[in-house]
Amino acid sequence: MDAVTYPQQAVQEFLADSMVPVRIPFDSPLSQEFRVTWLPMLITLDWNGAEHYRTVGFMAPDELVPSLMLGCAKAYCDCGLIDKAFAKLGKLLSTWPESDAAPEAMFFRGVCSYKSTHDPATLKEAFEQLTEQYPHSQWTKRAYPYRLL
Amino acid sequence: MGAIAWETDMKAALAKAQAAKKPVFADFFNPG
Repeated sequence: MDAVTYPQQAVQEFLADSMVPVRIPFDSPLSQEFRVTWLPMLITLDWNGAEHYRTVGFMAPDELVPSLMLGCAKAYCDCGLIDKAFAKLGKLLSTWPESDAAPEAMFFRGVCSYKSTHDPATLKEAFEQLTEQYPHSQWTKRAYPYRLL
Repeated sequence: MGAIAWETDMKAALAKAQAAKKPVFADFFNPG
């Protein structure tokens, strides 16, 4: 991460604009508190310290930024800041549509829409979009029941 | 854009995040 990912401008700009980055050595007591069992473990927390998303293992710059966008969106949505969540998900899907995080972002955008509107059609729409754009993604499979709504 | 402005203390990071209403990115790593 130090040699390849963190020196990249896109990563540095995203972190400076959107998150507060903190590095914790694996032998810190916090590793046990957060159940860190392998490195690097990358965790998105909200400003109260609650966890919303985690990944493990190396991530290239063009995967880390969208992954962090997804983490931010989940934190915002769980904290009731739906507009901010939608903004992050929209940016992710328009800027990084080929990233590994994109299908999950599309799935999660449907979930956020449903949470804010209680309209089941938003979940069905998410399934239809996933089927069209990411037909082989696990997130399309997970949205499969929504076709019946 | 310079290097990433890492915090090294979780409490300090959370205080900064609370003030800015920004999520925290916690990187658990091996300092070698």
